[in-house]
Amino acid sequence: MAKSITGEALQGPVTKEGHEVEPAGSSGRTELPDFEKIERSQGFKNLMRKKKLFLIPATALFLGLYLAFNIIISYTNWLDAPVVGDIPWVWVFAFGLFAMTWILVTVYMKQAAKFDKMAEETLKEFGYEEKEDIQ
Amino acid sequence: MNATVIIIFLVIVAMTLVITYYAAKRTNSASDFYTAGGGLTGWQNGMAIAGDYLSAASFLGIAGSIALFGFDGFLFSIGYLVAYLVVLFVVAEPLRNLGKYTLADMINARFDAKKVRGAAALSSITIVVFYMIAQLVGAGALIQLLFGIDYLWAVLLVGIMMTIYVLFGGMTATSWVQIIKAVLLMLGTVILSFLVLKNFNFNIMEMFTQMKTATPHGEAYLSPGVKYEIPLDTISLMLALVLGTAGLPHILMRFFTVRDAKTARSSVMWATWIVGIFYVMTIFLGFGAAAFVGADLITSTNPAGNMAAPLLAQALGGDILMSFISAVAFATILAVVAGLVLTGASAFAHDIYGQIIKKGKATERQQMLAARYASVGVSVFSILLAIFAQSLNVAFLVSLAFCIAASANLPVIVYTIFWKKFNTAGAVSAILTGLISALVLVSVSPSVLSPEAGAAILTGTPLFPLTNPAIVSIPLGFIGGFVGTLVSREIDAKKYAEVKVRANTGGFKQL
Repeated sequence: MAKSITGEALQGPVTKEGHEVEPAGSSGRTELPDFEKIERSQGFKNLMRKKKLFLIPATALFLGLYLAFNIIISYTNWLDAPVVGDIPWVWVFAFGLFAMTWILVTVYMKQAAKFDKMAEETLKEFGYEEKEDIQ
Repeated sequence: MNATVIIIFLVIVAMTLVITYYAAKRTNSASDFYTAGGGLTGWQNGMAIAGDYLSAASFLGIAGSIALFGFDGFLFSIGYLVAYLVVLFVVAEPLRNLGKYTLADMINARFDAKKVRGAAALSSITIVVFYMIAQLVGAGALIQLLFGIDYLWAVLLVGIMMTIYVLFGGMTATSWVQIIKAVLLMLGTVILSFLVLKNFNFNIMEMFTQMKTATPHGEAYLSPGVKYEIPLDTISLMLALVLGTAGLPHILMRFFTVRDAKTARSSVMWATWIVGIFYVMTIFLGFGAAAFVGADLITSTNPAGNMAAPLLAQALGGDILMSFISAVAFATILAVVAGLVLTGASAFAHDIYGQIIKKGKATERQQMLAARYASVGVSVFSILLAIFAQSLNVAFLVSLAFCIAASANLPVIVYTIFWKKFNTAGAVSAILTGLISALVLVSVSPSVLSPEAGAAILTGTPLFPLTNPAIVSIPLGFIGGFVGTLVSREIDAKKYAEVKVRANTGGFKQL
């Protein structure tokens, strides 16, 4: 990426060899890794596969349930009947969507910890360490 | 206005000013100003997101809506909460990994083009302005009700406070005002919920049984359809809410205040819990107000139901609790508008001035000055608009802001992260198609045009049947990006590889 960095006085970033990158405002050329090579690497491909395996079904699930709920309550009276005592189904399903949100967030947090580890390994493989680019 | 109100009110003002004073000392660079130096922790940012998100409309408006319309009043909350899954799964981490201060930064990490940045800044500014007008007009009316201050003075008071926070304390002050507000809001809501539940003998079943007969709606109160009768309109609006949050610039900006994607992720988790628990408690507030205050008193105090929560506090906890709840509502307003000013300022000062006009070569001093001028500019402009909009029915502007966010910002975000062939022309056309279609459709919708004089902004026959155009404009935003990309055919696989690697690993930031 031969793009000049913004005018802000960054103290970082440092290339993988450990040379200071020229600060902002100068020519701003930085030595960058071959991103296409990283993209083609087994580690990165695995990471993307694992991510997709979780994110696509999870997104389809929550958007699907959410839309189904809205369509059902807008066009039908199916959920108006009481389920326990005088509480109608619609409240149970509404709370179910809340519970779904919290559950999916919790599950994702666990999955994401695995993604982090995979990402870290891929980055290490290409000689990159964190803290190098934190300003 | 009694002495308790004035004391609690002054304590909140004093507390936020002390925060601003300390924040000002730590605000020495553009990065401090826009992102609080990127040093917030997950729970801090999670609370601040909740503080930024839960507007007075959420607190007073939803409680009032539930009190008056039962389930329909609660319906929006489902969309507002589920929306965080879109934020978490799609936006939060890539945004943190690719961007610096604004949404435009993230998109420009892939397309280094002024027109893309300009378009992104334009949509952010539009969203902020609409959201802000709705907030300030609402705030003016609420403060008038709560404290008996004139509309004009109420708007000026809120306007001056928000300007002070942002101008001197930048993101640090704004974040802490939002965190304190979130704490106060949760505290107030927990106290009210507890009192309501106590009055229902801590029995949820009994609460529902009583609600069946407690309101003029009878059994229908507990079912959908009391307020929203046009199915397609409801679905369109719910679509805007669930997809819009992930494109709201003032929420997105919060993700730059943390150091990495991992912290961004945990801040969404915190926000989801806080926001979700809050919405569950609004049910108790709404039911309580309907049962113990009554629909007649609620609507005679304010036809929209905004006074339901304060009246409930009065009924269950007397003057002191009512004063506290009113003060919480005030803090709520301040936290939201401060976040909006900062976001508007970042689009003007960072995107338009810093990156487009100065081509990223502005000095640190110039950036800070620009940020501060822009903050004052955005504040003054919003205050003026709010004063002129006093008598207009602008409540729909909040859902319009969500609609624009979903139509103009979400497609470009999704394509930037996931679509290899996406290109500069596609990015510009995605943003503009979404933005323009949402604006055009809403300007000929029942929200703006009503045959009944005074019911909407203009009198006339609506040409578009839905009050919220999301169901049309969101697909248009995606189609716009798709067609724009195919028409220009330019493709940069190398750049996409870089964006993909950076977005998904968090490595090689901001080079």
